[in-house]
Amino acid sequence: MAVLKIEGLDKRYHEADKYAVKDISFSVQEGEILALVGESGSGKTTLLRLIAGLEHPDAGYIELSGDKIVEGHYSLRPNKRKIGLVFQDYALFPHLNILDNVKFGISGPKAERIQKAKEAIALVGLNESDQKYPHQLSGGQQQRVALARAIAPNPKILLMDEPFSNLDAMLKDQVREEIRQIIKKSGVTAIFVTHDTRDALSTADRIAILHRGYLQQIDHPRSLYDTPINPYVANFFGKVNEILAEPVEDGFFTTFGLIKDTRATEFTGKVRIIFRPENADVCPNPQQKLIGNLLKVAYFGDHQMVKIADGKGQFINIKTNNKRLFNGSEYLCFSVDQYEIHPI
Amino acid sequence: MKIEKRKIYWWNSWSWTSIAILLLVSIPLLTIVFNLFTKPGESWSHLYKNLLAGYFLETFLLLLGVAFFTFVLGVGTAWIVTNFNFPGRKYFEWLLILPLSFPGYIMAYTYVGVLDFTGPLQSFLRNTLQISLDGGALDIMNMPGAIFILSITLFPYVFLISRASFLQQSRTYQEAAAILGKDRWQTFFKVALPLARPAIAGGVALACMEVLNDYGVVKYFGVNTFTTGIFRAWFSLGDATSAIYLAAILLVFVFIILYLESWQRGGKRYSSEVTINRPLLRVDTSLPIKLTFSLIMTVIFLVSFGIPFLQILNWTSMTYEAILSSDFVYLVLRSFGLALISGVVIVIVSIILLYTLRLNPFYKLKYIVKISTLGYAIPGAVIAVGIMIPFLWLDKWLIGLFESRTQLFFTGTLFVMTYAYVVRFLAVGYNPIESGFQKVGIQVNEAGRLLGAGSLKTLWKVDLPLIKSSMISAVLLVFVDVLKELPLTLILRPFNFHTLATKAFDLATNEMIAESANAALVIILTGIFPIIFLNRLIRKREF
Repeated sequence: MAVLKIEGLDKRYHEADKYAVKDISFSVQEGEILALVGESGSGKTTLLRLIAGLEHPDAGYIELSGDKIVEGHYSLRPNKRKIGLVFQDYALFPHLNILDNVKFGISGPKAERIQKAKEAIALVGLNESDQKYPHQLSGGQQQRVALARAIAPNPKILLMDEPFSNLDAMLKDQVREEIRQIIKKSGVTAIFVTHDTRDALSTADRIAILHRGYLQQIDHPRSLYDTPINPYVANFFGKVNEILAEPVEDGFFTTFGLIKDTRATEFTGKVRIIFRPENADVCPNPQQKLIGNLLKVAYFGDHQMVKIADGKGQFINIKTNNKRLFNGSEYLCFSVDQYEIHPI
Repeated sequence: MKIEKRKIYWWNSWSWTSIAILLLVSIPLLTIVFNLFTKPGESWSHLYKNLLAGYFLETFLLLLGVAFFTFVLGVGTAWIVTNFNFPGRKYFEWLLILPLSFPGYIMAYTYVGVLDFTGPLQSFLRNTLQISLDGGALDIMNMPGAIFILSITLFPYVFLISRASFLQQSRTYQEAAAILGKDRWQTFFKVALPLARPAIAGGVALACMEVLNDYGVVKYFGVNTFTTGIFRAWFSLGDATSAIYLAAILLVFVFIILYLESWQRGGKRYSSEVTINRPLLRVDTSLPIKLTFSLIMTVIFLVSFGIPFLQILNWTSMTYEAILSSDFVYLVLRSFGLALISGVVIVIVSIILLYTLRLNPFYKLKYIVKISTLGYAIPGAVIAVGIMIPFLWLDKWLIGLFESRTQLFFTGTLFVMTYAYVVRFLAVGYNPIESGFQKVGIQVNEAGRLLGAGSLKTLWKVDLPLIKSSMISAVLLVFVDVLKELPLTLILRPFNFHTLATKAFDLATNEMIAESANAALVIILTGIFPIIFLNRLIRKREF
């Protein structure tokens, strides 16, 4: 069942400005962890704030557990939404101790509230520190308190704004896994915002890519990596090659030669072919003989990167094994794995 | 789950309360503007023919003189204090702010007393040095005297602001200028002064606003400005419409100064691009120069605070036995009570306005709310007239409604006075609360609301505990300003009602200067406390 459903969301901060988010639609299933990924200014934090009710959209609606919480000029106030949010800087209340921070959002009789707060604190593994104040904790501990505070009232959905950005690289891998475990253990549906694709790939069940306010693609990590719908998405997860081609009867005709592909008949006009460096190799393949001019070889220890030119201004990079030796300049024969190319 | 959707997202009880507050606060201004379209009173032609040119000229001269001297005194002392080491430097940093605790009118009659034929200076010259001055030699009850008095009481504004600005300038700029071959004086004129210009102009503008607001000094010294004109039209000629016309012209002066101030800032950036903000390095100069600096500072301090303060102490010691009675205690309590109530109301109003902005990410609202703080730029006499007229009208209507009563409901009540103080001093309390909220940040509030607490509960449990110190300083600053306030109080006070300020002014203008010193001393001493507090706030920004 979809916990959250978003349809046609637009938001501009000032009338003269560009859209911060434009025509965003997607839904999140129960128990799922969704990552919103994009560069700074892509609208990912705005989207999070719209869901939380801290901003109001210009158009579109948001549905939470089947109820429309935002539509037109109407909006359910943030305090009625039952949404948990972990702020980037945690926003712990500096004047309250850890127990009171976590207790803040829980309703019910006092004993019950304390009980629930202690459970949440135990879930994040900070039982020893519940009488301390936020400034007495390390950054990672503060984050776990913020997480406990957001989860404790049993929110319908948990939002996290750049949860890993304040952690140093050494801690990051460990914290990513811890947080994923905590979220999965509590069973809460979660959306987190990040600019780091590694966070998204390793933590999320699905990933939504935003670029300049538009949703580019939303899918499982593997599908995004393997079948990106456009060069931007493809580039997001590492280097890609992009070459122009013309569809002919039995494949795509490029300046490097013909790439055989039966899908070519589905296309007309100029086509862009996208493939990753690891999906091509210099070992000649009898099926496909592409030829280019060797420009540069970069040695990386466990592999080599070969740059090949077509002589007409297009380049591609190919990842190859570390054993092969190349001499200065030569014509090079290479092939592309035809199941790994993406004509767009 | 039933959801409550009948709401335009920014329209809630906070926004309509804020709009109501904004309307109430802008009543005096609106009154003045609307009444401009009515026919002027019968004395207007007399005013226009005989007095208006004089009001213009004297107001303008006074502004020009005070602007010049506050600039020289304020910037000069700030530069010396921030750039050089000399004996007593640390003390002068706050001693030079003390004149702010002296209301201009108290400074005025204190100096008249100091320079009087029977005063300490002439007595000393006559009795010890056998020098006798002829009558007019030390007469300061004229235009230059008014410029002198207002300059020494107002220069600390410029001193404070330019000192803060100099302190914020990174040492890197100094070093860059030095490496490029500029000496210290060239650096001052070519780098430090231009960088501090917007701040300094802000300080001078503030001093000019105070000049336009002043009634006590110009009245006592017989200088005819627009403020005295308003009083004369209102009290002597009984012509409310002419008072409004004069108030409107005075407003034009205010807006010109406000405009010039924002225009000079232009679109330029003056904030530091240098991220490592090392504090200025103070220079050790030769001993004679150091001592000269100490001497200059001592003289400025003595003239602007030390001598008049000693005079006040002296008068108080002479008269306190006669003055200190239960009446005086009541006077003090009454003034304190009024000032405290105004401070608390202003803090509450500021919190409502600022919290509305915090809750509603609706950017146009920010500019509308800013209007409410305009009152601080508007002279007290203008606000008083702008408030008096609608309330007189309201009273007339109410008397018509209940024919049996002939008493005025509002006019001349403490309610109207407090209302006027709120309009006039809202900015004084608003600014510390605003920076308090800014320091706390919006996120804790958002966190509170997302955790299910309503806006009021979040305010109470999260925001207010975190801005407690800002609230205290806001009350304190308003308290002192209300205590000093004269022109507005003189117009709006209930019959025979006195505050410390009006009592001191009343006694002084009735040739009981020595007796007036008791009330003056209370005002000055209460004023000193927050000044030291204010100075600590600025010092904290140093590093």
